[in-house]
Amino acid sequence: MFKHLFKLIWNKKKQNFLLMTEMLFSFLVLFAVFSMLVYYYTNYKKPMGMDYRHAWLVQYNNTYETKNTDSLNLYYQTLQKMMRAMPEVQEVSLCSDNVPFSSNMNGGTIKYGKLAAGTNNYTVDDNYSKAFNTQQLEGRWFNKSDAVGKYPAIVINNNLKQELFGDAPAVGKLLTDDYRKSTMRIVGVIQGQKFKGDYAPSGNAVYFRTDTGSYRWMGNMIVKVTPAADAAFEARLYKMLSNYMKKSNISIEHFVNKRKNINYFQLVPMIVMSIVGCFLIINVALGLFGVLWYNINKRRGEIGLRRAVGATGNSVSSQLITESLILATFALIIGSFFAVQFPILNVFNLQAGIYITAMLLAIVFIYLLVLLCSLYPGRQAAAIYPAVALHEE
Amino acid sequence: MDNQLKHSELTTDNSILTTQPMIKLQNIEKVYRTDTIETLALSSINLDVAKGEFLSIMGPSGCGKSTLLNIMGLLDAPSRGDIRISDQKTGHLSDKQLAQFRNKKLGFIFQSYHLINDLQVLDNVELPLLYRDTTAKERRQLATEALAKVGLSNRIKHFPTQLSGGQRQRVAIARAIVGRPEIILADEPTGNLDSAMGNEIMDILINLNRNEGTTIVMVTHDENMAHKTHRLVRLFDGSQVQ
Amino acid sequence: MLKNYFKIAIAVLRRRKFFTFISLFGISLTLTILLVLTAFLEKIAGDSYPDRKRDRSLYVTRMSERTKDNGMSSGPLSFYYFDHYVRSLKTPVKLGITNGYESTNTYVNNKKINVSYKYTNADYWDIMEYDFIEGKAFTKQQIDKGDRVTVISEAMKKEYFGDVPSVVGKYFEADNINYRVIGVVKNVPITSYMTYSDIYLPYTVAKTDFTKDKGYRGRFYGILLANSKADLPRMRAEYEDMVKRLPMERPEFIKIHSHAGSYIVSYVDTGDENRSGMTFVLTTIAIFVLLVMLLPTLNLVNINITRIMERSSEIGVRKAFGASSNTLVYQFIVENIILTLLGGAIGVVLSFVAIEVLNSANLIPYLVLSLNFSVLAIGLLICFLFGLLSGVYPAWRMSKLNVVTALKAQ
Repeated sequence: MFKHLFKLIWNKKKQNFLLMTEMLFSFLVLFAVFSMLVYYYTNYKKPMGMDYRHAWLVQYNNTYETKNTDSLNLYYQTLQKMMRAMPEVQEVSLCSDNVPFSSNMNGGTIKYGKLAAGTNNYTVDDNYSKAFNTQQLEGRWFNKSDAVGKYPAIVINNNLKQELFGDAPAVGKLLTDDYRKSTMRIVGVIQGQKFKGDYAPSGNAVYFRTDTGSYRWMGNMIVKVTPAADAAFEARLYKMLSNYMKKSNISIEHFVNKRKNINYFQLVPMIVMSIVGCFLIINVALGLFGVLWYNINKRRGEIGLRRAVGATGNSVSSQLITESLILATFALIIGSFFAVQFPILNVFNLQAGIYITAMLLAIVFIYLLVLLCSLYPGRQAAAIYPAVALHEE
Repeated sequence: MDNQLKHSELTTDNSILTTQPMIKLQNIEKVYRTDTIETLALSSINLDVAKGEFLSIMGPSGCGKSTLLNIMGLLDAPSRGDIRISDQKTGHLSDKQLAQFRNKKLGFIFQSYHLINDLQVLDNVELPLLYRDTTAKERRQLATEALAKVGLSNRIKHFPTQLSGGQRQRVAIARAIVGRPEIILADEPTGNLDSAMGNEIMDILINLNRNEGTTIVMVTHDENMAHKTHRLVRLFDGSQVQ
Repeated sequence: MLKNYFKIAIAVLRRRKFFTFISLFGISLTLTILLVLTAFLEKIAGDSYPDRKRDRSLYVTRMSERTKDNGMSSGPLSFYYFDHYVRSLKTPVKLGITNGYESTNTYVNNKKINVSYKYTNADYWDIMEYDFIEGKAFTKQQIDKGDRVTVISEAMKKEYFGDVPSVVGKYFEADNINYRVIGVVKNVPITSYMTYSDIYLPYTVAKTDFTKDKGYRGRFYGILLANSKADLPRMRAEYEDMVKRLPMERPEFIKIHSHAGSYIVSYVDTGDENRSGMTFVLTTIAIFVLLVMLLPTLNLVNINITRIMERSSEIGVRKAFGASSNTLVYQFIVENIILTLLGGAIGVVLSFVAIEVLNSANLIPYLVLSLNFSVLAIGLLICFLFGLLSGVYPAWRMSKLNVVTALKAQ
């Protein structure tokens, strides 16, 4: 039976070629859209790695000017103390400007023996963990004792740990910073924070502990507040900060809003892509349906003959559906050949699993689409009466 | 009786007009090739059609009579041989020149009419004039005249699907004559019609031949129709037998 | 002749309504997507509010400094760089200096308002033609005196002061400082990042003294205005020449790049000498357009070819009665273009709806898209292209149809 169908398809190759091209491109478009959706979904499923609710970001510029590091530290410690004295403030943490949900980045490369990994580097203080309620997976967070160790202490996230150590423990291991050529000791591993919002991966993160000179260049504070903190309190906090730091421009943002914004920037391209993809697929589906329907109408004679020589209505309709599905299979084989290049050549640096899932989804989708589009014309063909169809010829 | 008389009358006319062939076929051969087999559709056909002659071609199904007509109408090229139409060689003509030639010299009538169902009768008849330099007004006038000749003046705004078979064939004849071609090629014009309608069509063609001097070549299955013409050529398996 | 084609085109469209629906659906939605994209690009690249003197201005948005080991650092420039180096150029008649908008908060009746602010010099207001709803811009004298005055946007006026007729003379508090409002301007969309802001301040009222930092890099952009369009090449050359003579800031730097470009070029400048932002943007748009058009075109080609088979009798007859292949190709392309134009008309209506929806959703602050004449002209062009693309191959196939087979097929 299959051989017979192949012959039919081959004999009409010119006509089928265009249909196949259309299926092929639809597959590629679907593959692209699904890759994106699967990627977003995989990221979305991963834990956030922090509690950003009731966390505010205070940004200031023109840090306190002094040559003396001690008075610099005193200046900011006093500020922190003043803030903590407010009943609504639970925690204050100073950190580098690449805070969660911001567009700032600070990249680097870290080495463990021969293994090297690209990382995002964050400079944070001892309170950061409590301010964001990060999830400790191994070891501990920074504390005062880290100021005096032989090697500077670092905390890494589970993503980097997995890449460098696999399932083996990481605490106590020494890493080298490829840029500064310095050695550092891992004191803890935390669940990766999704810095770029719900739909982006956490990436490899290395947390460095602030040292005595850090206040000179830092301009970000994370303030964890109680649920009772409202706009009136925010205005009060703002006033207090701008009175204390007279030379700075100050802004306060809520991480809840920052997350919303960054998600929005991730979602908009996805939504646009999906809408465009959807429209293209509807378009193709209608076209496919039309062409198949027309072809079957044109083949009434052939179908009538088949019925006359003993084919049942069902066998005729399933023959027509199988024909379209074989056509789709050809298109999908060629399409998969192109799609498979993405994981092989590691385009866009996505995991192979994402591409494979997207490919499978696209294949299933195309089959379903072709099946749906040929179901009705097939049923129509089954209803052809041999006598009528042959008489028309 | 009446028919018989007409026939002999026409035959005598014919003898006066034969000197210059309107269509001259020399050694025509047509071979259809597929991947594996060659089929000889026509072999060594030599045929002259005189100016003003009404010729009919008969033969069993598949004998090549339609192929011969198509070759005469320059719709199909022969595999070998020459066609001269009004003393002009046609083998070397380009697609565009062939199109112009058909437009000026030839008119076609088909068994299944081949009217364009999306166009009204008048637009259908105007069709050949579209491919010449004419104004809309001229086209309209000529088409109306042609329709009057076939007796369909009252149907010009109808669509072909609203007409009977005989009426449709009359529209097709009007279309064939609207451009005043010297030759009309008719492929079984009465094949889809009952004998009364068929005779009606035949009368129109005979009058056309007699009054306007149009050369007509007609393929037919019908001995009665064939005998109304000046001359009958019989084909069998691609060869001329009579 | 055309009238005849038109007649038959309409007749064919009415005969197979389902196919017509598919074709029109594909064409109109494709056009809608492309028109919205065009309207968006046209707004960003073509709308010259408030810098209406674009055709005689050059924009300097960044400098990149290259190190020996192929390292590169790039970004906007310092106030000093413009005031000291660029000011020395002969060709520019005005030099507008401004920074990218930054944000702060202000609190009104316990409600927080995000305020973006930017600093400008006096020339900036001479170059830019903001539409003032009331008041006027601050002057050089006010800047030199360090007057705490501000020009605010229409939207900020409404958000901060509410629905009041006039706010000139009132005070606007930001960063704990009260600024006297002296002008209100029409909103600029955020996509015009060089000119967008909620409030505009004299550069002298900033908490930082911008004139002190003598480094090249900072946070400012410059707009160089020439006397006439003809002076642009000279101004560009003079700028490049000045950049070439700049001493290196640090020993590890080996090369300094900075360009004074037209609005569009500087808008998409990536800061990387080897990667033209223009090429990147154009390639992205081209790929997107190709993708959006490819499938509907294939679809239309497919449907068109299917429809040819229906019309074999017509093709045969036309050929028999003297239509050459070229004439037939012409006829079918015209028919297809009629179809696409019809789809295009529907597409324009759909785009109109889509744009209304997008505008009311306010996805990008103050970006108001519109279907203007040039967008429609581009839409018409796209339609033609679409009709041609999807018509040529089927028409060619049609015209190549053998007359004898065409007449035989029923």
